[in-house]
Amino acid sequence: MSTLPAIDRSSRFKTMRREVGRALGALVIALLVAFVVVLLTSKAPFEALNVLLTQPLSRPRTIGLWIDDIAKLTVTGLAFSLVFQARQFAMGVQGQVYIGALAATYVALSPLGASWAGIPLGIAAAMLAGAFYGFIPGIAKAKLGANEIVSSLMLNYIAIELCNYLVRANLPKPQAGVLTTNDFPDSAVFPTLVANTRIDLSIIFALVAVVLVWFALYRTSWGLKLRLVGHNARFAEYSGIKATFIMVSAMTASGALGGLLGSMFVQGQTYGKLTVLFEGGLAFEGILVAIVARSRPLAVPIVAIFYAYLRQGAQLMNIRTDVPAEVIGIVTAIIILLVSSSYSLNFITRLFRRGPAASAAPAAAGGAAK
Amino acid sequence: MMELFLTVFSAAFFVTVIRTTTPLLLATLGGLIADLGGALNVALEGMMLIGCLTAVIVSVYAPWYVAVLAGLGAGALLGLIMAFFAFRLKADIILVGFAINILAAGGTVFALALATGGDKGTSINLQSKAIPAVDLSFLSGIPVVGPTLSAFLSGHSVLSWLAAILVFAVWYFLYRTPWGLWLRGVGEYPAAPEAAGIPVNKIRTWSLIVSGALAGLGGAQLAMFNYVGFTRDMTAGRGFIALGAVLLGARHPVGALLAALLFGAFEALAVVMPGLFNDIPAELIRAIPFVVTIAALVLFSIRAQRALALRGVK
Repeated sequence: MSTLPAIDRSSRFKTMRREVGRALGALVIALLVAFVVVLLTSKAPFEALNVLLTQPLSRPRTIGLWIDDIAKLTVTGLAFSLVFQARQFAMGVQGQVYIGALAATYVALSPLGASWAGIPLGIAAAMLAGAFYGFIPGIAKAKLGANEIVSSLMLNYIAIELCNYLVRANLPKPQAGVLTTNDFPDSAVFPTLVANTRIDLSIIFALVAVVLVWFALYRTSWGLKLRLVGHNARFAEYSGIKATFIMVSAMTASGALGGLLGSMFVQGQTYGKLTVLFEGGLAFEGILVAIVARSRPLAVPIVAIFYAYLRQGAQLMNIRTDVPAEVIGIVTAIIILLVSSSYSLNFITRLFRRGPAASAAPAAAGGAAK
Repeated sequence: MMELFLTVFSAAFFVTVIRTTTPLLLATLGGLIADLGGALNVALEGMMLIGCLTAVIVSVYAPWYVAVLAGLGAGALLGLIMAFFAFRLKADIILVGFAINILAAGGTVFALALATGGDKGTSINLQSKAIPAVDLSFLSGIPVVGPTLSAFLSGHSVLSWLAAILVFAVWYFLYRTPWGLWLRGVGEYPAAPEAAGIPVNKIRTWSLIVSGALAGLGGAQLAMFNYVGFTRDMTAGRGFIALGAVLLGARHPVGALLAALLFGAFEALAVVMPGLFNDIPAELIRAIPFVVTIAALVLFSIRAQRALALRGVK
């Protein structure tokens, strides 16, 4: 009796070790490629690399930025994990962030925002709005078969333009012409957990979200059905699961997470107000987090810790050296390519022995650096 | 309202529509070829963007046609990378596509900063070249219809004419050559061509290379004719709209042309409308092409479902 769980545990441990090895291998390869790019383009490549790898820990302030990024990347990673587990490629987290942020802003700048309800209502409004925005591509796919990738991407652009418009023309501003709203009242801004840093309630919300998503996926029948639909939608359908309902609910729940992220952006210490284009491409980086974490909610924050560190390192490198922060895009792309493919470390060595085929990965960076 | 009608039915508006349609059409044809080969190419956006930047930077040092070829080559190379990871290393092609998009979004800004010496917004201080327009003003010598003909046909980019020819070429390739049949077979049911000894992965690889080349060509048109120079994220979702246009065009080259024209017309409207209606906010006008894409996608899906229901398939 006791051997079965033991075998299960040891094989699970083996899988985990393999996955971690693959992820770290991909990280090393990606960093090597990035380093080659920096070496070719920078006047002080070693200093740049040093800043990238050590500076996020240099001051309490930078550590705060790092933790803030962990919280945000965790939530976007969870949002992508949910839809990826159902094998839906809904790419709408970015749009949900903007819509959620707008909803939170309207609450925060209303009389309610100045009361104790500013934070809970702001979050609730953001999550509802995000859920609605995630529901649209879901229902369009379930009822009409409209491709969810295309519709969710279009909704992203619409949300960004809507946000631009409302900030410019509708929401109260400190002075005409600026593209930010008034600062939110203190009661609507997440309080800091550590003074003089950006560490605020966001990280708590992110951790709660991790536990909730894990519980929903692995300890409820909805989660079981969702994973079954993800593995084999037709089989799930035959066994009496309403696959379309599961798809729509997965996208809606993921939308609520996207909305939460929107509220974390505007109600967090970073902004405390709504500005145009505040998200800066972070939402899409959840794809990397979800893929490296194999869409496992409990692995998401761990991946987010590493990736947020790199992200902050790149920002500091941008400020202190001549290497633009966008070099991190190359690292991100290579990690996604390697981790989502069936590469293994043996495969890489075999490739190098064979020669020409191995040039494909560095060519990715070379193509961009042209 | 009257002014809008006058604008829409003018030759100048027609020329604008062709200009806005061309990059979309090239990307849509690229998406179509990948889609028929069984791969949804979500990387069109990134391929276009890298095509834009490559074309702009090469055009500083080389004649315009070399720059256009460089844009095309950059797209093709990305297609090859995509195929390598998707088919050789068995990665999910949609994730590979998004990796390329992320690479393009960051990589182009990085490369732009290097090329301009620190400017991360535009390539305004690079002397990049433009694709020449084809001048057909001699047509106005024809009696009666001459001036109209010249007004409508003159002033289009060389690539616009090429794109029009490519619609026919792609149609011919798909429906009149054995390779086109193979490609469609691979997309429809890969096991059958595999059994018949057709090299499935090779065909898919080539379809992605061609797809990338067409998207890169679209990028060259965007950055060397529609706008001269590179701006960060200048494709602004056109690659994704092209994906929608593939589906809307019923996965046929002529349908792709019509769908691209539809989206091009709405983009052109978004270009001329701010001058006509001051009270409609520019942001909402800019959102029109995206709203139209969703509406078109939904309407098309309803139609496709009806067709399936008629055939008795559920």
